[in-house]
Amino acid sequence: MNIGGVHLTRIGSDDMLLEPTRALDISDTGTLLESILECLQREKSLRLYYDLAEMAVIDPVYFAWLENLSRACRAINVRIICIHMQPTAAFGLATFLHAAPSFETALDMQSLREES
Amino acid sequence: MAKNKTPVNLTLIEQLKLQVGNISGRIEAQGRNVFGDSNVMSTDEITDFSIEFLELMVALLDSDDPLDHHRPAFRALQTFFGNISKQILVRGGRMEDFVRYMQFLQRCFIESLGADEHVSPEDMRAILLLLSSVFNELMLAVFQTYLEEKERTIDAQQRELRETSTPITEIWDGVLTLPIIGTLDSSRTLLIMESLLNRISSERARAVVMDVTGVHTVDSQVSHHMIQMVRAIQLMGATAILTGIRPEIARAMTSLNIDLGNVTTRATLSDGLKEAFRLLGVVVSKA
Repeated sequence: MNIGGVHLTRIGSDDMLLEPTRALDISDTGTLLESILECLQREKSLRLYYDLAEMAVIDPVYFAWLENLSRACRAINVRIICIHMQPTAAFGLATFLHAAPSFETALDMQSLREES
Repeated sequence: MAKNKTPVNLTLIEQLKLQVGNISGRIEAQGRNVFGDSNVMSTDEITDFSIEFLELMVALLDSDDPLDHHRPAFRALQTFFGNISKQILVRGGRMEDFVRYMQFLQRCFIESLGADEHVSPEDMRAILLLLSSVFNELMLAVFQTYLEEKERTIDAQQRELRETSTPITEIWDGVLTLPIIGTLDSSRTLLIMESLLNRISSERARAVVMDVTGVHTVDSQVSHHMIQMVRAIQLMGATAILTGIRPEIARAMTSLNIDLGNVTTRATLSDGLKEAFRLLGVVVSKA
């Protein structure tokens, strides 16, 4: 399903995959957050995989969006796991982060499944 | 604008032509004396050097303005000396010896003039000025070559050192090890992070064991860089395991208020590997 610049796909029984598109506008996150959370609750999801494969750079604004989404998801008991973070994005993020992010990270869905 | 050939140039050319055998012989003898023992230049090479040098010198004096550094004749002489000095450096020769040899070449010209009583004091003064100017420029060219070669060597050494100082090894499927030796400054951290993150992505590594046994001192900058690397690894979705933290490093980190709460640490590299294997569900047992 498409919600204002993100594509949400159900994968497995409890998991959803969020793929941001180029149309994603994070300047007004309030409505977008509500729509995503509504969808997650409707689908009874427990985990949300956020695909960062297309994000070569994550700037503070985009990071703030990820943090907001993560905190909101935690409020409805959904774990958010960022996958496919690019080396360039990780490199950039690590230079300005002062604390660990509130979201989890994994190489990809498969590696997470192997761990669990 | 091109100048006409001066009597000074003509006098010098004439002297060179008259005493070419004598000068050439002295240059070769001195060359053999300086470079012969060290095998920096063979006897044939010294002879070739002597002939070519005298030819280029005559061509320079024959040009309209020998002191114009942009003239082809001057450029040719500069290049000639540059190439010779490069060759000497590559073969392990000392630049000091070559510069002294150049001073000897200059002295050869001056001494050959002294033998000619037809050269007036004014001409002699002008010739000395001309020769010293030309040879000073040539020595600068040699010095320039020396610096360039040294810089190239230092660059190559630094590149090699960087590569060998950050050997990222995939010790098991999905497990990378990175022994860090020495100090972590900003430029080195950037290099390590860049190659490490790319390796995590390409090898799909799930655990990175960073061994800091070789790090003897830690200040706020070094510890900040270590935390930065750990965070970048975690952001990629891999687990960072920090091993080999010496007691004095641990103490220093505590006094610097560095919190390793989110970092998996183990005493030794071996323990770190065991932890990585445990994370991956790998069991290593005796056959």
